[in-house]
Amino acid sequence: MTDLFGIMLVTLIIWGGLFGYVYRVDRKVRRLEEP
Amino acid sequence: MNFREILKWLLLAWMSLVIWAAFFYVHPAEGFVGESSRIVFFHVPCAWVAVLAFLFSCVASISYLRRRDPKDDARAAVSAGLGLLFAVLATVTGSIFARIMWGAYWNWDPRQTSIVILMLIYAAYFGLRGAIPDPERRAALAAVYAILAFVTVPFLVFVVPRIYWSLHPDTIINTRGDNEFDLHYTQVLMASLVGFTGLFVWLYTIGCRVEALRQRRQHEVL
Repeated sequence: MTDLFGIMLVTLIIWGGLFGYVYRVDRKVRRLEEP
Repeated sequence: MNFREILKWLLLAWMSLVIWAAFFYVHPAEGFVGESSRIVFFHVPCAWVAVLAFLFSCVASISYLRRRDPKDDARAAVSAGLGLLFAVLATVTGSIFARIMWGAYWNWDPRQTSIVILMLIYAAYFGLRGAIPDPERRAALAAVYAILAFVTVPFLVFVVPRIYWSLHPDTIINTRGDNEFDLHYTQVLMASLVGFTGLFVWLYTIGCRVEALRQRRQHEVL
């Protein structure tokens, strides 16, 4: 595995983690919005 | 699955593709140390989103002063917060680039200095909001401050770094009015700008909904 591939993998993991966190917050807000 | 849900998953796929392209679709640009030129795909979109968010904050503040709608005040605060967050990310990614290219994380380059001034201006916006307990007075003063703060944005982001000699590369925006990146770089950069803008819009809508919920709860308590 090259250094470049490793950095790309770490960047992808960070992006996936960020997406998952924001997605969870979005769902939680939607639940709170329900009357 | 509704349209908004599809857009979210599309954003995940789009940005994943941008990350792959940033590392394997383009070659390192000439005149840059090692692979450092690849950071442009993350640094420039962060700076772009910061400016866009500050513009949103200014527009929402003008709207608040005209209509006195608390939702506009919330929109201004949310976008200013996101602008500050992305300005910090632009500074961090820029510092990593500076360490590789110029040997130090911080060089007091005109661009680094101007972004710090900009961040301090917007940090003071939140200081101002926190210092005034009355919601209407806070919203009015914060709106005036946000409009004045945005006046400095074009000056600090586009003018100051061009007046003084700077280490910062002027490959994309320069006085020659020419994009000096090759086609592949331009394609990935544009795709990244679209992805980051999508992420900003998503975060902005969540922030506005949270503020609306908070205001609803406050009304229920009162």
